[in-house]
Amino acid sequence: MTTENVLPLELIDKCIGSPIWVIMNGGKEFAGRLLGFDDYVNMVLEDVTEIDPIGGDKKLPKILLNGNNVCMMVPGGDGVSTFDDEEK
Amino acid sequence: MQDMQNGDSPQEVNQVGDTEDPSKFLGDIIGAPVVVKLNSDIVFRGTLQSVDGYMNISLERCREVDHNNKVVRDYGEAFVRGNNVIYICLDDGSV
Repeated sequence: MTTENVLPLELIDKCIGSPIWVIMNGGKEFAGRLLGFDDYVNMVLEDVTEIDPIGGDKKLPKILLNGNNVCMMVPGGDGVSTFDDEEK
Repeated sequence: MQDMQNGDSPQEVNQVGDTEDPSKFLGDIIGAPVVVKLNSDIVFRGTLQSVDGYMNISLERCREVDHNNKVVRDYGEAFVRGNNVIYICLDDGSV
Protein backbone atom coordinates (compact mmCIF):
# COMPACT_ATOMS: atom_id res chain seq x y z
CA MET A 1 0.00 0.00 0.00
CA THR A 2 1.39 3.36 -0.94
CA THR A 3 -0.10 6.46 0.55
CA GLU A 4 0.95 9.91 -0.59
CA ASN A 5 2.25 11.47 2.60
CA VAL A 6 2.21 15.24 2.27
CA LEU A 7 3.64 17.03 5.28
CA PRO A 8 1.80 20.20 6.30
CA LEU A 9 4.65 22.58 5.52
CA GLU A 10 5.26 20.78 2.22
CA LEU A 11 1.70 21.66 1.23
CA ILE A 12 2.30 25.31 2.07
CA ASP A 13 5.63 25.21 0.24
CA LYS A 14 3.77 24.15 -2.89
CA CYS A 15 1.58 27.25 -2.54
CA ILE A 16 4.47 29.69 -2.94
CA GLY A 17 3.58 32.02 -5.79
CA SER A 18 -0.12 31.18 -5.54
CA PRO A 19 -3.06 32.80 -3.79
CA ILE A 20 -3.58 31.74 -0.18
CA TRP A 21 -6.17 32.48 2.46
CA VAL A 22 -4.92 32.84 6.04
CA ILE A 23 -7.27 32.69 9.01
CA MET A 24 -5.97 34.08 12.30
CA ASN A 25 -6.87 33.13 15.84
CA GLY A 26 -8.79 36.32 16.53
CA GLY A 27 -11.10 35.89 13.53
CA LYS A 28 -9.14 38.21 11.28
CA GLU A 29 -8.33 36.90 7.78
CA PHE A 30 -5.77 37.70 5.12
CA ALA A 31 -6.07 36.76 1.44
CA GLY A 32 -3.13 37.30 -0.89
CA ARG A 33 -0.33 35.78 -2.92
CA LEU A 34 2.22 33.82 -0.87
CA LEU A 35 5.80 34.87 -1.62
CA GLY A 36 7.51 32.89 1.11
CA PHE A 37 7.48 31.68 4.70
CA ASP A 38 9.85 30.47 7.42
CA ASP A 39 9.91 27.79 10.15
CA TYR A 40 7.54 29.82 12.36
CA VAL A 41 5.13 30.16 9.43
CA ASN A 42 5.75 33.89 9.35
CA MET A 43 4.70 34.74 5.81
CA VAL A 44 5.44 37.30 3.14
CA LEU A 45 2.25 38.08 1.21
CA GLU A 46 1.61 40.31 -1.78
CA ASP A 47 -1.58 42.10 -2.96
CA VAL A 48 -3.25 41.36 0.34
CA THR A 49 -6.80 41.96 1.47
CA GLU A 50 -7.09 42.18 5.23
CA ILE A 51 -10.56 40.88 6.08
CA ASP A 52 -11.71 42.15 9.44
CA PRO A 53 -15.34 41.40 10.39
CA ILE A 54 -15.37 44.44 12.69
CA GLY A 55 -12.99 46.99 11.18
CA GLY A 56 -13.80 46.25 7.51
CA ASP A 57 -11.55 45.18 4.63
CA LYS A 58 -8.26 46.83 3.76
CA LYS A 59 -5.87 46.46 0.81
CA LEU A 60 -2.18 46.05 1.59
CA PRO A 61 0.51 45.90 -1.14
CA LYS A 62 3.05 43.67 0.60
CA ILE A 63 3.21 42.42 4.18
CA LEU A 64 5.21 40.29 6.55
CA LEU A 65 2.58 38.44 8.58
CA ASN A 66 3.52 37.22 12.06
CA GLY A 67 3.00 33.45 12.26
CA ASN A 68 2.22 33.57 15.98
CA ASN A 69 -1.54 33.95 15.59
CA VAL A 70 -2.07 31.93 12.43
CA CYS A 71 -4.85 29.37 12.81
CA MET A 72 -5.41 28.01 9.31
CA MET A 73 -4.06 28.44 5.80
CA VAL A 74 -6.15 27.56 2.77
CA PRO A 75 -4.42 27.24 -0.63
CA GLY A 76 -6.15 28.76 -3.64
CA GLY A 77 -7.40 32.15 -2.58
CA ASP A 78 -10.10 33.60 -0.40
CA GLY A 79 -13.45 32.21 0.64
CA VAL A 80 -15.33 34.88 -1.26
CA SER A 81 -14.11 33.76 -4.68
CA THR A 82 -14.64 30.10 -3.71
CA PHE A 83 -18.26 30.79 -2.89
CA ASP A 84 -18.66 32.89 -6.04
CA ASP A 85 -17.53 29.91 -8.12
CA GLU A 86 -20.11 27.67 -6.50
CA GLU A 87 -22.92 30.01 -7.40
CA LYS A 88 -22.06 29.91 -11.11
CA MET B 1 13.03 15.45 0.54
CA GLN B 2 11.73 11.93 1.18
CA ASP B 3 13.26 12.04 4.65
CA MET B 4 11.62 15.34 5.49
CA GLN B 5 9.97 15.41 8.91
CA ASN B 6 7.55 17.79 10.48
CA GLY B 7 9.48 20.72 11.85
CA ASP B 8 12.24 20.50 9.27
CA SER B 9 13.02 23.65 7.42
CA PRO B 10 11.38 23.67 4.01
CA GLN B 11 13.75 26.36 2.77
CA GLU B 12 15.99 24.08 0.71
CA VAL B 13 13.08 22.35 -0.97
CA ASN B 14 11.92 25.27 -3.04
CA GLN B 15 13.98 28.39 -3.48
CA VAL B 16 13.16 29.21 -7.05
CA GLY B 17 11.37 31.95 -8.94
CA ASP B 18 10.01 34.85 -6.92
CA THR B 19 10.24 33.09 -3.56
CA GLU B 20 10.83 35.67 -0.86
CA ASP B 21 11.21 34.40 2.69
CA PRO B 22 10.59 36.66 5.69
CA SER B 23 14.26 37.37 6.42
CA LYS B 24 14.86 38.55 2.86
CA PHE B 25 11.77 40.76 2.98
CA LEU B 26 12.93 42.30 6.26
CA GLY B 27 16.35 43.01 4.81
CA ASP B 28 14.78 44.69 1.80
CA ILE B 29 12.46 47.02 3.70
CA ILE B 30 14.97 48.51 6.18
CA GLY B 31 14.81 52.28 5.78
CA ALA B 32 11.45 52.16 4.00
CA PRO B 33 8.18 53.66 5.24
CA VAL B 34 6.04 50.96 6.84
CA VAL B 35 2.67 50.38 8.47
CA VAL B 36 2.80 48.15 11.54
CA LYS B 37 -0.37 46.65 12.98
CA LEU B 38 -0.47 45.22 16.50
CA ASN B 39 -2.67 42.49 17.95
CA SER B 40 -4.62 45.19 19.77
CA ASP B 41 -5.51 46.70 16.33
CA ILE B 42 -3.34 49.74 16.99
CA VAL B 43 -1.61 50.93 13.82
CA PHE B 44 1.78 52.65 13.71
CA ARG B 45 3.33 54.36 10.73
CA GLY B 46 6.97 55.25 10.48
CA THR B 47 10.29 54.57 8.86
CA LEU B 48 11.71 51.14 9.64
CA GLN B 49 15.05 51.66 11.33
CA SER B 50 15.75 48.05 12.27
CA VAL B 51 14.08 44.75 12.95
CA ASP B 52 15.27 41.42 14.38
CA GLY B 53 14.26 37.78 14.33
CA TYR B 54 11.63 38.35 17.03
CA MET B 55 10.00 41.01 14.87
CA ASN B 56 11.06 43.57 17.45
CA ILE B 57 11.00 46.83 15.53
CA SER B 58 12.45 50.27 15.89
CA LEU B 59 10.63 53.00 14.02
CA GLU B 60 11.70 56.52 13.21
CA ARG B 61 9.07 59.27 12.98
CA CYS B 62 6.61 56.85 14.57
CA ARG B 63 2.97 57.97 14.57
CA GLU B 64 -0.03 56.11 15.91
CA VAL B 65 -2.94 56.46 13.45
CA ASP B 66 -6.65 55.63 13.67
CA HIS B 67 -8.86 53.86 11.09
CA ASN B 68 -9.01 57.00 8.96
CA ASN B 69 -5.23 57.42 8.96
CA LYS B 70 -5.57 60.42 11.25
CA VAL B 71 -2.56 60.84 13.52
CA VAL B 72 -3.52 60.13 17.13
CA ARG B 73 -0.08 60.41 18.70
CA ASP B 74 3.39 61.31 17.52
CA TYR B 75 6.12 59.33 19.24
CA GLY B 76 9.21 60.21 17.25
CA GLU B 77 11.55 57.25 17.68
CA ALA B 78 9.94 54.14 19.14
CA PHE B 79 10.63 50.48 19.88
CA VAL B 80 7.86 47.92 19.41
CA ARG B 81 8.22 44.49 21.05
CA GLY B 82 7.79 41.83 18.38
CA ASN B 83 5.22 39.62 20.11
CA ASN B 84 2.59 42.35 19.67
CA VAL B 85 3.01 42.64 15.91
CA ILE B 86 0.47 41.10 13.50
CA TYR B 87 2.03 42.44 10.34
CA ILE B 88 4.57 44.81 8.90
CA CYS B 89 3.35 46.33 5.64
CA LEU B 90 5.40 48.18 3.06
CA ASP B 91 3.86 51.66 2.84
CA ASP B 92 3.63 52.72 -0.82
CA GLY B 93 1.11 55.44 -0.09
CA SER B 94 -1.92 53.35 -1.03
CA VAL B 95 -2.55 51.94 2.45
